[in-house]
Amino acid sequence: MGSIPTAAAEREGATWPAGERITCWQCGAEHAPDLFCPACDAIQPFPERADYFQVMGIPQRLVVDVEALQKRYYELHRRMHPDRYQTGAQEARVASLRNTAAVNRAYRTLRDPIDRGLYWLMLHGESLGANNNRVPPELAELVFEIQEKLEELRAARTRNGAAANLAGDIAAAHEELVQRQDVLMRQLERSFIRWDTAAADTATLMREVKATLSALAYLGTLIRDVEKALET
Amino acid sequence: MARIFGIDLGTTNSLIAYSDDGTPKVIRDPETGSPLLPSVVSFPTADAVIVGARAKELAAHHPLTTIASVKRFMGLGAEHVTAEDREHYTFAEGGNREIVRFRIHDRDYTPPEISALILKELKRRAETVLGEDVRNVVITVPAYFNDSQRQATRDAGRLAGLEVLRLVNEPTAASLAYGLHQQNQGLIAVYDFGGGTFDISILKLHEGIFEVLATAGDTRLGGDDMDRRVAGLLLEHVPPAARSDPEVVSQATAAAEAAKISLTDAETTTLELHVGTVHAVRQLTRAELEQLVSKTVDRTIAPCRQALKDAGLAPEDLDEVVLVGGSTRVPLVRRRVEELFGRTPHTELNPEEVVALGAAVQAGVLSGRHTDMLLLDVVPLSLGIETVGGVMERIIERNTTIPTTVKQMFTTFVDDQTAVDFHVLQGERELARDNRSLARFKLRGIERLPAGMPRIEVTFMIDANGILNVTARDERSGREQSIDVKPSYGLTDEQIEQMLEESIDHAETDVSARLLIEARNDGDAILRATRKALAETAVDAAERAAIDAAMVQLEAAMVATDYNRIRDLTDELNRVTEPMAQRIMDASIKAALERKRVEDVA
Repeated sequence: MGSIPTAAAEREGATWPAGERITCWQCGAEHAPDLFCPACDAIQPFPERADYFQVMGIPQRLVVDVEALQKRYYELHRRMHPDRYQTGAQEARVASLRNTAAVNRAYRTLRDPIDRGLYWLMLHGESLGANNNRVPPELAELVFEIQEKLEELRAARTRNGAAANLAGDIAAAHEELVQRQDVLMRQLERSFIRWDTAAADTATLMREVKATLSALAYLGTLIRDVEKALET
Repeated sequence: MARIFGIDLGTTNSLIAYSDDGTPKVIRDPETGSPLLPSVVSFPTADAVIVGARAKELAAHHPLTTIASVKRFMGLGAEHVTAEDREHYTFAEGGNREIVRFRIHDRDYTPPEISALILKELKRRAETVLGEDVRNVVITVPAYFNDSQRQATRDAGRLAGLEVLRLVNEPTAASLAYGLHQQNQGLIAVYDFGGGTFDISILKLHEGIFEVLATAGDTRLGGDDMDRRVAGLLLEHVPPAARSDPEVVSQATAAAEAAKISLTDAETTTLELHVGTVHAVRQLTRAELEQLVSKTVDRTIAPCRQALKDAGLAPEDLDEVVLVGGSTRVPLVRRRVEELFGRTPHTELNPEEVVALGAAVQAGVLSGRHTDMLLLDVVPLSLGIETVGGVMERIIERNTTIPTTVKQMFTTFVDDQTAVDFHVLQGERELARDNRSLARFKLRGIERLPAGMPRIEVTFMIDANGILNVTARDERSGREQSIDVKPSYGLTDEQIEQMLEESIDHAETDVSARLLIEARNDGDAILRATRKALAETAVDAAERAAIDAAMVQLEAAMVATDYNRIRDLTDELNRVTEPMAQRIMDASIKAALERKRVEDVA
């Protein structure tokens, strides 16, 4: 995903809050937040309140070039991983461990559009809340049909009856669910682009993103259930 | 900085390796030249220990004082011991929720203590060969080892006087050795089937970064299980009353292992057992072996599928499949892997040495020698806490890249509550009781406040060893919150300290005991050989008198404990029997030559 290039974003580097300063644990130099002290090159712990975008050193945008993000992830590990500080000072070892854990979490969240969207909601003080478990209206009919088939399949299996036909139906329904998921993912990406490029009617856009994420979360659970039923 | 060594602490065999100018090398036994140290520990008496090949020989005749496959018990509780385990080991009586203990000569040993003896032997081997101290090590563990099993391995290292700088997952270590070997890029599956454990790891290799995408396995599945099936077949030919005799079971297992190995190349072999009046002999074909072990082998398939699914891959997406572990020598295993992944697996590197070599490579990474390589591994099992109603709430999902941290907020339920307990679990099941209990934590010294007011932030960190560290902080005051840990099946720091003190007291006697046993074994061997030779060869009276005198002196010395005197007298007996040995040798050569001549004529 992600068609908007982030080369420019890469050049912008870490987007720490303006004016933030940290003091190097090794040489005492005061400097703007960075991975390494500009004076003595010692590894620096990320500020506690750094968000995932800051940890990865990319601007806070919803569209992320996942390939570039992965490159950045590897680069950060090459420079900061605990394996590199095994023989270093205690402070350096602690900073390396903490920073690497933060990078792992940030990468895992940002590389996935759904997790990224949810995280972004959180950064804006929002969450899916109770909407999460409600059947999205546009999926209601399909969901009803599938639940019924799953029920029949379970019943057939407890009777040890032939379930091959039903399994075929459910596999077809699974296919349709996956297609719906693709459509919703593209919809989510379009919302991401609109948010990044023109933050015009943010309230409407926010509602839209929440609805899409909510539907995706519901579909995700349903698809997992269907796959489990098909496996056993 | 001192050199860092790589150790493969295996179920069946253990190895130690090091890396010199970028090339990893396994250290061989200076006497036998073997890179493998059988992971067997035997206690001939209450205060004597033998480790390795000799202990393995003793296992057949002294099963109750010999421990093999101790790795299967690392990090387990007494309640995890099965009925089948009881046929092979004697356990100390212990309640549930307690660490497993073996009982030998009225003394109890925990699995980390037994493993420490194996590690000490490896340490000694490396020190003898290289002439330098061995202190800093990397030890490999099955990727699917849970937190308790990892802690137990680290404890074993401490008890052996080693600084365990890192625990590395075995399949990942193997991939490092292969990566160094072939400079691979792409997606690889490492199928690691050892003596007691099975792991599958899916990795992405990219410009020197070894990123584990998913791992799965079974920490109680291995070659041992195959041996038990085959031994069961042989035992059917033993009178029922003798089938539970530990010596019979132990010899049947040894015969089964030997038969399994020989059927790698041969089509048929013989299983044999002779204990006192009990004798059993049975032919075994490879087809029969494959039928017996196919269930064991099939149990590796589901974890493979799981790992592929977790990595979001299909078999055809993989670029390479690598085989690791002694059990992958079994032809049926290779066929199954080929069927599953649809390609011929790699076997260029010795499957028994590749993990140790990889551990040495990782040791090189940690010492800053291999700066072009980096491992990004994962936690194999989800971590969670028990919530109301006995449900496990997952806080770290399996296959999360380590190190990783999660913060969780805790508070009080009643007014003025000063302590909060929580229970940490590992596993994939929904209910707490179906998962493995890791530890119980108690947050103490909480300020007296109305219920729900205190906010204690608990940080769960899984470090680069895959081991959990828990810290807590009072959010309001920012103070570190004190926290007590009670590991479910582990040793506490105090217990380890005490064991270390005891072993330091015994360090000198340990060494002396070992030297004495070795001297006695050597003495025993020459006495037996001499008696046999005397019965078969003619010697004149003067020679006979000298030999008899030397034998009597050696026999007397062997009852005492001066190993230097035993060695000297062994040398003496060797010297006086030299002419006789020479004559026997000449005679046998002559006989061989005569046979040859007869054949030539015929």
